[in-house]
Amino acid sequence: MSAMASAIRRRSRVDVTPYLLVAPAVALILLIYGYPIVRVFIDSFLSPTAARGTTVGLANYGFVIDDPVFWKSAGNNVFLLVGVPIMTFVALVVAVILFDQIRGWRLYRTLVFTPYILAVPVIGVTFVYLYGYNGVVNEILRAVGLGGLAQDWLGSPTLVMPSILSVIIYRELGFGVMLFLARMASIREELYEAAMIDGAGWWARLRYITVPQLRTVMTFFVVIELITMLSWVFAYVYSMTGGGPAFASSVLELYIWKYAFAYRAIGIASAVAVLLLVAISVLIVVQLLVRGGESETGEE
Amino acid sequence: MRRTLSRLGGLAVASSLILSACGGASTTTAPSAADSAAPGASAAAPSVAASEPVSLDFWYWAESDAPGADKWMAETVAEYQKLNPNVTVNVVPQSADTLISAFQTAVASKSGPDMASQWATGPVLSFVWQDSVNPISDLVPADEIAHWLNTNENTYNGKVWAMPQYLLGIGLAYNKELFDKAGVTPPSGDRWTWDEFLAASAKLKTAGITPFVGGDKNGYLGAWWFANVGGQQLDSVQDLAKAVVGEVPFSDPKYTGWYSILEEYVKAGNVNNDVMSLDLDQGVRLFSQGKGAMTFTSDGMLATAIKDLGADKVGVMRPPKWGTGALADAGNATQSISHFVTSWSPHPQEAADFLKFMHTPDRLDAWYKATGVIAADDRFDMSQVTVPQLQAMSKFETTGDQVWLENWIPPQIDGEADLPAGQMIFSGSGTATDAAQLWDRVQKTWAAAHPDELTNWQQLAK
Repeated sequence: MSAMASAIRRRSRVDVTPYLLVAPAVALILLIYGYPIVRVFIDSFLSPTAARGTTVGLANYGFVIDDPVFWKSAGNNVFLLVGVPIMTFVALVVAVILFDQIRGWRLYRTLVFTPYILAVPVIGVTFVYLYGYNGVVNEILRAVGLGGLAQDWLGSPTLVMPSILSVIIYRELGFGVMLFLARMASIREELYEAAMIDGAGWWARLRYITVPQLRTVMTFFVVIELITMLSWVFAYVYSMTGGGPAFASSVLELYIWKYAFAYRAIGIASAVAVLLLVAISVLIVVQLLVRGGESETGEE
Repeated sequence: MRRTLSRLGGLAVASSLILSACGGASTTTAPSAADSAAPGASAAAPSVAASEPVSLDFWYWAESDAPGADKWMAETVAEYQKLNPNVTVNVVPQSADTLISAFQTAVASKSGPDMASQWATGPVLSFVWQDSVNPISDLVPADEIAHWLNTNENTYNGKVWAMPQYLLGIGLAYNKELFDKAGVTPPSGDRWTWDEFLAASAKLKTAGITPFVGGDKNGYLGAWWFANVGGQQLDSVQDLAKAVVGEVPFSDPKYTGWYSILEEYVKAGNVNNDVMSLDLDQGVRLFSQGKGAMTFTSDGMLATAIKDLGADKVGVMRPPKWGTGALADAGNATQSISHFVTSWSPHPQEAADFLKFMHTPDRLDAWYKATGVIAADDRFDMSQVTVPQLQAMSKFETTGDQVWLENWIPPQIDGEADLPAGQMIFSGSGTATDAAQLWDRVQKTWAAAHPDELTNWQQLAK
């Protein structure tokens, strides 16, 4: 009995001041991040024109699942995921080359990173002119006698997504290169010195020291780019093709935007947003599991 | 013309509008017609009785249709404020891409501008049905409205909901020099038949000239074909409305059979090979550069072509006649954009007074001088139009029935069926059958997503 009373006294002595101090920040975060998520979930179960507020169960989800444009858009997002390993590999190669401090490496580093600091619409509009049927790329091809390769890069339903992907890679590559370079600069020099004493060549040092040391940052980059490809490509698509021709380059963000703002069907837009949120959450969980596993095995 | 130009810059504008929409606005009951300005009152006279300061926000769009419109609006505001020193009018130019979505955001919070612009009929009525528009016929005297043209485009339930400002039509511009080179003779009347159009295109192609130039990257060339040729089997807009509400399928050849002739025309190589790389206006610019023999053109685009190519080299006719419905003979002029007073404006009468001021004779004259586009008002002095080609366009636009078909479909069907179906044909990614099926599918999608709109359109179809 006396032990219980002691426990109660201890509990009553818990200092609530820290909780009170952080409460406004927590409330603000919940308001800014929590409320919209809850609202989107609720709206996804309301009538498409949510102003009426009628609950329709899973009808909005049924609607989008039956809509071929939704699947086309989702398929395009999945297609863009192809770019992640390509981008990671190229970023690694470029970072390794720059890390070797080849002549003019500072200039190259700046050139590689510059696209990343440009606004996406600026890049999008630029590539509209580059990729037009009579644009710069095709004019160069024609000038060097390769006119047969000239294509309507953004106007062809089969080429439009690879063309957009190339632009995304062009811009996002700089982010990967800078991440990798930053990590490479922090690898302990003794590791390389020891390897060199043991007779390890350039390739062996790359394979057995550099790449393993980059593992964590590569995982981070891959997850970030996976999320980008799923939910951060609206500006590329909107500024380059608007989703056309005939939905050939539509993506889920564009689908959500259209239904939410152009077609006044918040319920449907919310349902797609929830599905997208779930897909991205799965990716984040995978990332956490991977990183957790690495921590347990003592890797960085 | 509806949603044609200015695709970029919209996001920034939209952001500012969303922020504006977040601002509160007190609401007052709109005065009844009996409270409105007395019929016959001078439009130019200061009619805002209240002496307290009044601030009016106007989300205005016209510049894309009529370059020079924004400058004219700035002058109009200055003139109005001279006459009504207690009134301040804040004009916020809008982007075509976000015109509907930005206003939809305002509607969600029932706050935002006192006056707004939307494309006629479908878009305007969709906001009427959301209780966001104050009928202009309750605020402006009937004898003033009687001067406005094409008010039928925004008449619903016995009320006129929005005010027209100008009239635009689409003609088929042709390059006389290229016609001569290919041995093509323009029609003796004001248009060709479809067969004559095909024959002329064949001659031009044989002569190594691109018969028709345009751009459909943004989908609007297809929409123009729909409005100019696609509706020619219909007898009335009610015919179209029946398909919109699902009484008859869009895949009925009466509605979408025209895609077959467009498909044949495109496959025959009559259209510029970069049609899918260019937006509508960029494609039309090819005509101004002498790179094609024909294109669809608005008044403003025609004026530009005349300036670039020379008046002696440019001719204009009505789009070719293909169909046998009553609408095959109708003109295609529309007010395009309409202006209205929002239901939440605390100053509806003052807002309506400003809109009315835009139709004063002095402002109508200034409008034409600034834009070269004729005003939608029977008081507009047509003698100001002196260029023969533009006179011909004006005649097309003011003679007989006028229907711009795109106005008579809901925005979702326009955006998801009308525009992509044209892209299917121009890009070769789909057939005429695919295009027809797309219309059917989107109609069902729209009806499922918007049961409330469906009910309203069913009423409109009657």
